Amino acid sequence: MRSNKVGWWLLAPTLAILGIFGILPFIYVLYLAFHQWNPFGANPEQVFNGANNFRRLVFDKEFLLAIWVTLKFGVFAVASEIVIGYFLAQLFMREFPGKGFFRTIHTLPLIVAPIVVGSIWRLMTTPSVGIIPFYANELFGIDINIGRDAGTAFLFTVIMDIWHWTPLVTLTLLAALLSLPKDPFEQAQIDGASRSQIFWHITLPMIRPAILATVFIRLMDALRTVDEVWMLTGGGPGAATRYLGLHIWKVVFPKTDYGYGAAISVIVLYLTLVMCWMLYVGLVAPRNKGN
Amino acid sequence: MRPSNPWLNVLLWIILSFATLFPIYWLFVISVKPAVDLFTTPDVILRSFYWKNYIDVLHDETLRRYMMNSLIISTGNAVLCTVLAFMACYALSRFDLAGKENIFFWTITNRMAPAAVFLLPFFLLYTKVFVIGDFKLYDTRIGLILLYCTFNLPFAIWTLRPTIDGIPKELDEAATVDGCSTWQTIREVVWPLARPGVAVTFILIWVFAWNEFLLAATLTSFNARTLTTGLSEYVTTTGTQWGKMAAISIFTLIPALIIFSMVQRSIVAGLTFGAVKE
Amino acid sequence: MRQGLKAGASALILAMLAGAMPAWADFWSDAGAKFKGVTLHGVTESTPPSNYIKDVLAPQFEEKTGINVEIETTSWDQMYDKAIKDMEAGTGIYDMVYIEQDIIYAYLARNFLVDITKTLKDDPSLKAPTFDEAKFTTFADYFKNADGDLFGVPMEAFIKVYLYRTDLFNDPEIQAAFKAKTGKDLKPATTHEDYTQIAEFFTEYGKEKGLDLWGTTSQAHTGHPASWYEFFESVAPTFGVYNWGINAADNYGASVEHGGTMNSPEAKTALKYLLHLRDIAPPESAASTWTEVATTFAAGRAAQGLVYGENAAWIASDPDQSKVVGNVGVALPPLEPGVLEAAEAGKGYIGYYDGGAFGLPVTSKNKEAALLFMQYIGQDEVQGPWAVAGSRITNTATYDDPAVQELDKKLGGYFTMLRDQGKLFAGAPPYPFHAQVREATAPIFYEILTGAIEPDAGLDQMAAKAEEELTNLGYRK
Repeated sequence: MRSNKVGWWLLAPTLAILGIFGILPFIYVLYLAFHQWNPFGANPEQVFNGANNFRRLVFDKEFLLAIWVTLKFGVFAVASEIVIGYFLAQLFMREFPGKGFFRTIHTLPLIVAPIVVGSIWRLMTTPSVGIIPFYANELFGIDINIGRDAGTAFLFTVIMDIWHWTPLVTLTLLAALLSLPKDPFEQAQIDGASRSQIFWHITLPMIRPAILATVFIRLMDALRTVDEVWMLTGGGPGAATRYLGLHIWKVVFPKTDYGYGAAISVIVLYLTLVMCWMLYVGLVAPRNKGN
Repeated sequence: MRPSNPWLNVLLWIILSFATLFPIYWLFVISVKPAVDLFTTPDVILRSFYWKNYIDVLHDETLRRYMMNSLIISTGNAVLCTVLAFMACYALSRFDLAGKENIFFWTITNRMAPAAVFLLPFFLLYTKVFVIGDFKLYDTRIGLILLYCTFNLPFAIWTLRPTIDGIPKELDEAATVDGCSTWQTIREVVWPLARPGVAVTFILIWVFAWNEFLLAATLTSFNARTLTTGLSEYVTTTGTQWGKMAAISIFTLIPALIIFSMVQRSIVAGLTFGAVKE
Repeated sequence: MRQGLKAGASALILAMLAGAMPAWADFWSDAGAKFKGVTLHGVTESTPPSNYIKDVLAPQFEEKTGINVEIETTSWDQMYDKAIKDMEAGTGIYDMVYIEQDIIYAYLARNFLVDITKTLKDDPSLKAPTFDEAKFTTFADYFKNADGDLFGVPMEAFIKVYLYRTDLFNDPEIQAAFKAKTGKDLKPATTHEDYTQIAEFFTEYGKEKGLDLWGTTSQAHTGHPASWYEFFESVAPTFGVYNWGINAADNYGASVEHGGTMNSPEAKTALKYLLHLRDIAPPESAASTWTEVATTFAAGRAAQGLVYGENAAWIASDPDQSKVVGNVGVALPPLEPGVLEAAEAGKGYIGYYDGGAFGLPVTSKNKEAALLFMQYIGQDEVQGPWAVAGSRITNTATYDDPAVQELDKKLGGYFTMLRDQGKLFAGAPPYPFHAQVREATAPIFYEILTGAIEPDAGLDQMAAKAEEELTNLGYRK
């Protein structure tokens, strides 16, 4: 057996970088979270105010609403992306002419910068002159107004997210599927297992870690989304799409409420962590025990 | 896998590609229309072309610089993260390190932070703390390359771990028995087998770095500005210049596509991987 | 008219002389010699006037003085955030920052900026002979402290005007139809009642004729502060509700109960007026910020509307961006009776005067060189072409420039209005908590726009929220 020293050396650069660039800023934000600090307040200095920011949070309706819509957004978008992404990854496991070409096409949305993705969808959905509302009205007589109807705005943010990020899911799941050994599948086919049996009993357990990693990444990113939604709806109508990332941005940027913004961030970080930890324990721990 | 008619697949993909391509087609439409036409009755078919946006963009030297910065930063960050993550994952997978699962989970927490508030400490670190003489990390490419590790390195570790875990341990044990050093084992055995995962990880990190906006906008000002920050300059209070923004985006698809198709070949190379155990 | 031409001609001659006079040219190279090799960094928004500084004035200045200038242009939010972080942390990255009129009070309150008047007085060797503070329009007053010292060199200024389509308003058929329907002559509205009537008429007219035409624009985005500004800066003042309805003299009260007017009957009427217009405006209005309002008008989808002056220029003159070139009329916004008189007496205002200046952060490491540049962009000489490129005027001499007068004709007399009636308009109220109170109350305003909250109750809530935020910030005791 090789010595663990080699292992630590391999891990060291990662720990160093994340330690410096991850922990230092976090400590600063944690410090701010316990202070009242708005550079344009009557007192522009940082004033220690104990847990007041956190107390304020609990009664902040805007914040609570933001959590709720964000969760809704995250669940809808990520669930759809995983299902569609898995389906597409499976399609890419087959051999067919022009596969490389289609795979490249499929990854195109990833390369479009979020602010531009937001712009495209904004122009496509501008009430009455955007291509989607225009043809919805022309062909089906449906009135789509993203500025007035909360449900529509929510739906478009989800669709936009699916359009933009499904390729990521496809790619990660494809990588996972490609690295599966063939034996169990061949064995199962010989044993006469059905398609769904193979899926539930062989494929799914084997790519579970990859799915989990993908869900994690997508969920966290969905919780942090700013640019795209900012461009598409600005968080409106009302607060219907004022997702946490955007909410925090509004508290910190225009409002310069640094102390309170820090407290929100700490809480959001904590909630994300707990959520992911639960997923992790629920899905990965059993596997590790099995090993 | 299961035999099925390949042309059926092709048909299916043509349909799917329409869904994927329509917004990109629309991006192109936006880029070749005068702004005022975006707010009149829309037309799916493009009937006339207005090239001024492209001409303006092509003549803009600053944009070329931004594009160069973006390419260097994304590629640098993708290489750095992929290599470091590969090493880290190998360590987590093959060594019995104390608390390694906790470390593994901790890495991902670095990606959870909502960026807006963290801009302030990063700004302070980059302008006041990480300063050696006249050199500051602020407004440097290396500054962004390192910074993007905070969210891309965890991502890389999490997407590579399943791949490396999936490579049978017996293989590198056999290599060790044959007298390979750790370094040789990684290079000769594990790395080739992990290629699909590595390729995908690389591509996605590259994409994240390429698209990052908030951090780049705050921590650069002249020298290291990236294309995404350049794009945001077109959103102004006197009007958003949709056309130019779209024209640039269409341009940026090209280098990105080249890098993509280069790296994607590695995924194809990975197709033979299923045969490993034979 | 003749007077104007004469003045224009003499200004031209003066400008030519100025260019030719060696003593003046020498000032820049002499003054610049001390700072050769210095690089100045500025941050501003990427608008046409700022791009003109970056692309034209900065290179000119570099050539004359040997001082390098790098202007970073970025988006609005980024510009603020970066300038504030820099000045707050004292990093000294920027030697010049763009200051929008609405944030100057916040900067002054924090002593972020260098007193330009005083510094030039203390060190006369820096003072350019061609720079004269007295030449600026009244807009410069916003950048002065109580002693009248200047803290920013005004670089752009616009008023939000009432635009109408002259082709529609002058169409005899439409005029007849309007007369038949309302019994009035069709002409630009001066009162809210007239404006509403015209708007309703055109919306119906568009519907009847199957045209993509509505009676008014409306800046009513349901998630962007543009709509909030539309109400507090453009509509409410025309109903006599000033300074957002916050009473600075009385402990920053916002509600009627506490001495404010944010939820006064006038404010409530104003809000209903806005909502009604929104309902008869083109459907995209619910997703319109200032940008889309301008584009809607430029696309010929609205017969009239309130549009920011910086957009008015390209709507009236740029065929690449506008389908109504040559058909744009400019007028004062429609008002309630008595508001104009109040504005003329200096007791109120009728609309929004918008713009910004270049300021010098106290944290700058190249203050002297930066002062030179700021004087450079403040000279009479550079104003004319700049006004043409960016449709902005901050210096009284600019009005006499022949090119500007030429453009003025194309813009339907916009510059003339800016000169003669600019004083009736006002910038944002002198609050150091501008963005803070806006962001605190805007979510309620969006809910009013979506219909989730009734307008009257909404204004009550906003007034309460504003007071809460002001208390929280420590301004309201």
